[in-house]
Amino acid sequence: MKGNSWLRMRAIAKRHAYVMVRSPHRLFDVSLWPLVDVLLFGSLAQFIGGEDSTASEQAAGYLLAGIVLWHVVYQSQIALSTGFLEESWTRNLLNLMVTPMREVEYVAGVALFGFVKLFIGVGLMVVAAFAFFSFETWDLGFGLVPIAAVLLVVAWAIALLVIGLVLRYGSGAEAMAWGVMFLLLPLSGVFYPIDSLPPIVQPIAKLLPTTHAFAALRDLVDGKGVNWGQIALAAIGAVVMLGLAFAWVVHMLRVFRRRGYITRYT
Amino acid sequence: MTSAEVVLEARGLVKDYRRARAVDGVDLVVHAGERVALLGPNGAGKTTTLFMLLGVVAPDEGDVTICGYRLAKSRSRAAEQVGFAAGYLPLTERMRVNEYLTLFGQMYGVRDPGPRIEAGLKRFRIEHLAEAMGTELSSGQRTLIGIVRATLHEPRLLILDEPTASLDPDVASRVRAGLLELSNEHGTALLMTSHDMSDVERLCDRVVFLSHGKVIADGTAAEVLAKHGSNDLESMFLDLAERHEPHETTTGQQSDHP
Repeated sequence: MKGNSWLRMRAIAKRHAYVMVRSPHRLFDVSLWPLVDVLLFGSLAQFIGGEDSTASEQAAGYLLAGIVLWHVVYQSQIALSTGFLEESWTRNLLNLMVTPMREVEYVAGVALFGFVKLFIGVGLMVVAAFAFFSFETWDLGFGLVPIAAVLLVVAWAIALLVIGLVLRYGSGAEAMAWGVMFLLLPLSGVFYPIDSLPPIVQPIAKLLPTTHAFAALRDLVDGKGVNWGQIALAAIGAVVMLGLAFAWVVHMLRVFRRRGYITRYT
Repeated sequence: MTSAEVVLEARGLVKDYRRARAVDGVDLVVHAGERVALLGPNGAGKTTTLFMLLGVVAPDEGDVTICGYRLAKSRSRAAEQVGFAAGYLPLTERMRVNEYLTLFGQMYGVRDPGPRIEAGLKRFRIEHLAEAMGTELSSGQRTLIGIVRATLHEPRLLILDEPTASLDPDVASRVRAGLLELSNEHGTALLMTSHDMSDVERLCDRVVFLSHGKVIADGTAAEVLAKHGSNDLESMFLDLAERHEPHETTTGQQSDHP
């Protein structure tokens, strides 16, 4: 059975690879948008830093490292949630739900494909940041790995939340796939400490695992080394979030089956 | 026939939607190699019953067992024994027929689906479509590809929801011939819905009539006709349809898919 699980996950990953390769606009997520973000935030850093090379380097560190790591969340979340939405858009859900594929195998298959998108998109950003602004992301060191891992888990949790909403409310809930990201970006302090946020939203920001992950990233940029305390807080928050998101999607799947929502896709 | 292995056993299936009972205590047993037609007017509960047998709609009451696997507990193992095709199911976009069939073969655990794809396409005389894109196919061709997909893993039970709906006579005849061949060669049990009584007469050796979510007749065509006092399935169907008031649905679903 384990062999069949792998076979099914690979089939799902391949199915989404076909969709991406044969829909040029889908390539924007891993090519155009990452480049635009590097150009935008790199240029902003140059402007803020002005003639002062130290200030310029610091701004570049915060903004470029921030946007590169933000794309870990963005690419992984969008890959998983739009992967599921693709099944809804093409009315493919019934085809999939009658196969022996388990739900967890489906999610793992799309996440596997999401890894490919992540490596392409973030890889391109790292190269562009170096080529355009001489920013060496790899100089931040090994500390980037646990931070990226936490952000990946958060991305999957958000995607599961979106999938649950689509199961319950149909394709109308698809705006959440992008909407949640716009909300999370400012609240997570991707480019600044959350002390800069209005005091009223700071308590919410502190609850987000992404906030602690980006705080740890800024410590890396400032040369303070790996802040394991912040990373641990982020990791605990991310695992709790993933657990809740998993329970949510399992519940929504039960509701989906109980209320016969599959007829929306036939 | 009753001595053959039971591939599908459904007991006491009940499904309520908000203001209507779509399925009301359906019992259904299908044996290996049997070819069973599930008939009834629109809104009789056929598709809801099929969806419960497939595990995509959860029954409010009752239980389904497929080849010894209880659907509620072992959905994946049960689904390995079943194939499903319906005229309304789309083909995955942006893929060639071969690629599509390969992926679905793998989802059913077939490591090298190539030879089975070739045999399946040949069975329905559509080998020439192997390299076609899904978007280039007619609705009839898509139905044939859907049936090939549903049989790649050589299921013990093949469930078909109106497999010949809106097909021209030539394609419909190919579907029937292919299904008969499959059933005779592999002992695959067929459970199909249809509104085409000539299809049913040519293909099925047992009919189950549903009305208002209940089984009102179950047996060979001759037995069912004798019980109902009709001369043929067509007039029996029309008589039932006249008496049948479609269930009111509140979920925005079409009456045919309550």
